[in-house]
Amino acid sequence: MTTEVQVPDIGAFDDVPIIEVHVKAGDRVNEEDPLITLESDKATMDVPAPVAGQVAEIAVKIGDRVSTGSLILTIDPGDGAVEAPPTLVEQQEPEVPAEAGGPDGSHGSVMANGDKVAVGATGSTGAEGIAGSKWAAGAEGIAGAVGAAGAKEVIEMAGPATDFTGVHAGPSVRRTARELGVDLTAVTGSGPKGRITKDDLLAHLRGPSPAGPASPPVVGPAAGTGIPEIPAQDFAQFGPVETRPLSRIRKLSGPHLHRSWLNVPHVTHHDEADITLLDPYRRELDAAARPDGYRVTLLAFLLKASVSGLKRFPEFNSSLSPEKDSLIVKGYYHLGVAVDTPEGLVVPVIRDVDRKGIIELSQELSAVSGRARDGKLTVTDLQGGTFTISSLGGIGGVAFTPIVNAPEVAILGVVRSAMKPVWNGTEFTPRLMLPLSLSYDHRVIDGALAARFVTYLSDVLEDPRRLIL
Amino acid sequence: MAEIESPAARGDVHAGVLVLGAGPGGYTAAFRAADLGQSVVLADQRPALGGVCLNVGCIPSKALLHAARVIAETREMAAHGIRFGDPDIDLDALRGWKDGVVSRLTGGLAGLARQRKVATLRGTGRFVSANLAEVTAADGGVTTVSFDRAIIAAGSSAVRLPFMPNDDRRVLDSTGALDLASVPRRLLVIGGGIIGLEMATVYHELGARVTVVELMDQLIPGADRDIVAPLAKHIKARYENIYLTTKVTGAEAGAGTGTGTGKHADKDAGGLRVSFDGPGAPDHDVFDQVLVAVGRVPNGRLVGAENAGVLVDDRGYIPVDKQQRTNVAHIFAIGDVVGPPMLAHKATHEGRVAAEVAAGQRSYFDARVIPSVAYTDPEVAWAGVTETEARAAGVPYGKGVFPWAASGRALSLGRDEGMTKLLFDPASKRLIGAGLVGPNAGELVAETAHAIEMGADAADIALTIHPHPTLSETVGLSAEAFEGTITDLYLPKRK
Repeated sequence: MTTEVQVPDIGAFDDVPIIEVHVKAGDRVNEEDPLITLESDKATMDVPAPVAGQVAEIAVKIGDRVSTGSLILTIDPGDGAVEAPPTLVEQQEPEVPAEAGGPDGSHGSVMANGDKVAVGATGSTGAEGIAGSKWAAGAEGIAGAVGAAGAKEVIEMAGPATDFTGVHAGPSVRRTARELGVDLTAVTGSGPKGRITKDDLLAHLRGPSPAGPASPPVVGPAAGTGIPEIPAQDFAQFGPVETRPLSRIRKLSGPHLHRSWLNVPHVTHHDEADITLLDPYRRELDAAARPDGYRVTLLAFLLKASVSGLKRFPEFNSSLSPEKDSLIVKGYYHLGVAVDTPEGLVVPVIRDVDRKGIIELSQELSAVSGRARDGKLTVTDLQGGTFTISSLGGIGGVAFTPIVNAPEVAILGVVRSAMKPVWNGTEFTPRLMLPLSLSYDHRVIDGALAARFVTYLSDVLEDPRRLIL
Repeated sequence: MAEIESPAARGDVHAGVLVLGAGPGGYTAAFRAADLGQSVVLADQRPALGGVCLNVGCIPSKALLHAARVIAETREMAAHGIRFGDPDIDLDALRGWKDGVVSRLTGGLAGLARQRKVATLRGTGRFVSANLAEVTAADGGVTTVSFDRAIIAAGSSAVRLPFMPNDDRRVLDSTGALDLASVPRRLLVIGGGIIGLEMATVYHELGARVTVVELMDQLIPGADRDIVAPLAKHIKARYENIYLTTKVTGAEAGAGTGTGTGKHADKDAGGLRVSFDGPGAPDHDVFDQVLVAVGRVPNGRLVGAENAGVLVDDRGYIPVDKQQRTNVAHIFAIGDVVGPPMLAHKATHEGRVAAEVAAGQRSYFDARVIPSVAYTDPEVAWAGVTETEARAAGVPYGKGVFPWAASGRALSLGRDEGMTKLLFDPASKRLIGAGLVGPNAGELVAETAHAIEMGADAADIALTIHPHPTLSETVGLSAEAFEGTITDLYLPKRK
């Protein structure tokens, strides 16, 4: 009768945390309604209901870590339950200020409806067991006597919430910890006498990078840079203001960019590539591709050219070891492509670029950027990058300083190409020039090497025939 | 009365959040929930919001205690050169002032409810099911209220002693004592806790000869003995009798009926013959009135919790988690009904948590300490761990004590019996408990509660400049005493 809903194939990731539970026992759901939201790296992924029906039992709560195949909940597709009358609260819900609101409505509804927030934030497992023994038994007895309406509402009481007794943190920090679901007993205080400050909480939340146990714990300089916060200002005293919540993506990418910017000593090398020859070739391919529903953009060529450069200069396809005493050079070429979405910047990764041709890459780029804009990227889409390209090509500009997508060591920025007069030894000739801005981690790459890399890229882009070499 | 209508609701009215009980916890929960966008119905049997605390508890008793304080101070000043005549007490006017204080506050609450569009229902609320309650008015009219979430704030009731002639109007509970119908010549207060001693303070100053009988071997059994000692000494010298470790074994009405009125009603009506069992207590004695203040019992069984599937334990408490949820996820409980200490300021904080969780926020009751205050003369107040508890639990502690005899401010008030005692964790030096006795101790304890919540250590408190000359200095000086840096006392070196 009931359908078990399990975590679908989310790629090779285990122990992905649940950041939201959208339903509670007794809720009616339609097929494809989001049930829970998983988060890993920079991706969030909703698990949709496979069938319509009524949620019978929920086996997970916010904070639980799940893997492919983990039981999420059971859905009763039958139509037996009485539907509660619409309530004032439900009618009013859109007006309730949603904490995590913003453009993404699904987050808002969780925060606005108390029943959808899991009881008790502690313990990844075992809440059921604790609840079962002491509470549920007695409650069932009582509920049984008063009929189904009562019984339906009886839930298991979660295990005791983490006790903050003995934690050195003031009441406001303790409340913030509760709001964010942070176990204060696991937070290290940086304040006087080990006092936990609000900054400690936030640093703890950013925490070790979610890439998994393989990645080093982030306790480096960025965790507590000692940089004084920018003092808060009451902008309203100068004129009207409006506070808009950041999108989820921006909230997640912000700390990552900040961490990269602070940890990596950046240098940006600027150059121009002559793509006068490449451009007509690209247009030809593009024209041929259009009937098939994809475009051939310069990005595909940049991917190919970059792979060629990465193979020649393996330092660019590496990462510093956690101990910073060796270089981990990667034997695969997965390239990230920064995609602008309405929710913010995401960087899906195109895998094995070295084994794909321009056509295949173009098709994949079309597909992946579409998914990115629709917010449908999976965790797999975002992991494993070795080098990143950030293209502002369609918009304009002369040059910019992209931020290295750590732990990668270099990122290539491109802006719009422009026809420029170029001296060919005897005269100025009009050439289509593509500005290239390569930011790199100076701990790994020296200026001379960067200059050689960019020069090589320019050479490859100048003569598209080299791309196939 | 309620204006909320929803055609789809099953009850006469529908509430996003139904709050049962409009005491400090209940109205706080209702107001907070309304401020968070919920549609709220607040039900209470009293005509005025505010529950026991505002109507027949904390507030009216504080008004009367202030009157008592004025009487005491004018009398004390006689020894220092200012002599007034004996007070001429107009009981009706005093009662009127007290009632005015109450109605001003409860009227303010009604206004706050209106501004928030909280619908109030007068009557006794009971659950019918897990989503429906009925509120029965005094005239028998029933209003059904369906709800999405409910907060039980049903409070507590004074314990009645089975052997007392409880229908006799000379047998009072705290509510009756606050009515101030008359001042008896001899008053027996059964129960030497906070409520009993506060009422004893009032009636003593109004002219009654007071006897206090307490079952335990000290007054205010929750507080440390050394903190209570100055109070015990003060009242022992003034009251007729204090019987400790003594049981009241029976009581019977004397010749009168107790139905008389006026100032000397009790005299005309004969007395209540009360028998005792305890060292130092007589076998029996006769009193004009008896105040029973032996404790309060939770009202958990009075709200039909079983109809909603909400568990009530065998003492009448409703168990909740740190988010104030009962075993039924959408029903919360707060205040006296969830467990001791039965204090308004605990209930209001729990009420906020329940309302916030009901509105979808992740709130928890994470307060470390709930201060207690006895508004006696002198006042007794404490927060956090008491020395008695620390010893019993084997919690290590260090102590800093400052006797108010060395406080210029206390002496200039004509009082030297006070004491401030701070308990510290010996390893971290953080404040873990405080006990104070003396005039205004109830105000001083707030600083220590704040210090504990903030994790302040002895140096933090000692290095905070306290204004001079104030009683608050005694807190800073106690921390100095613990640190061994105090100059206002001479303490022999510890090591």
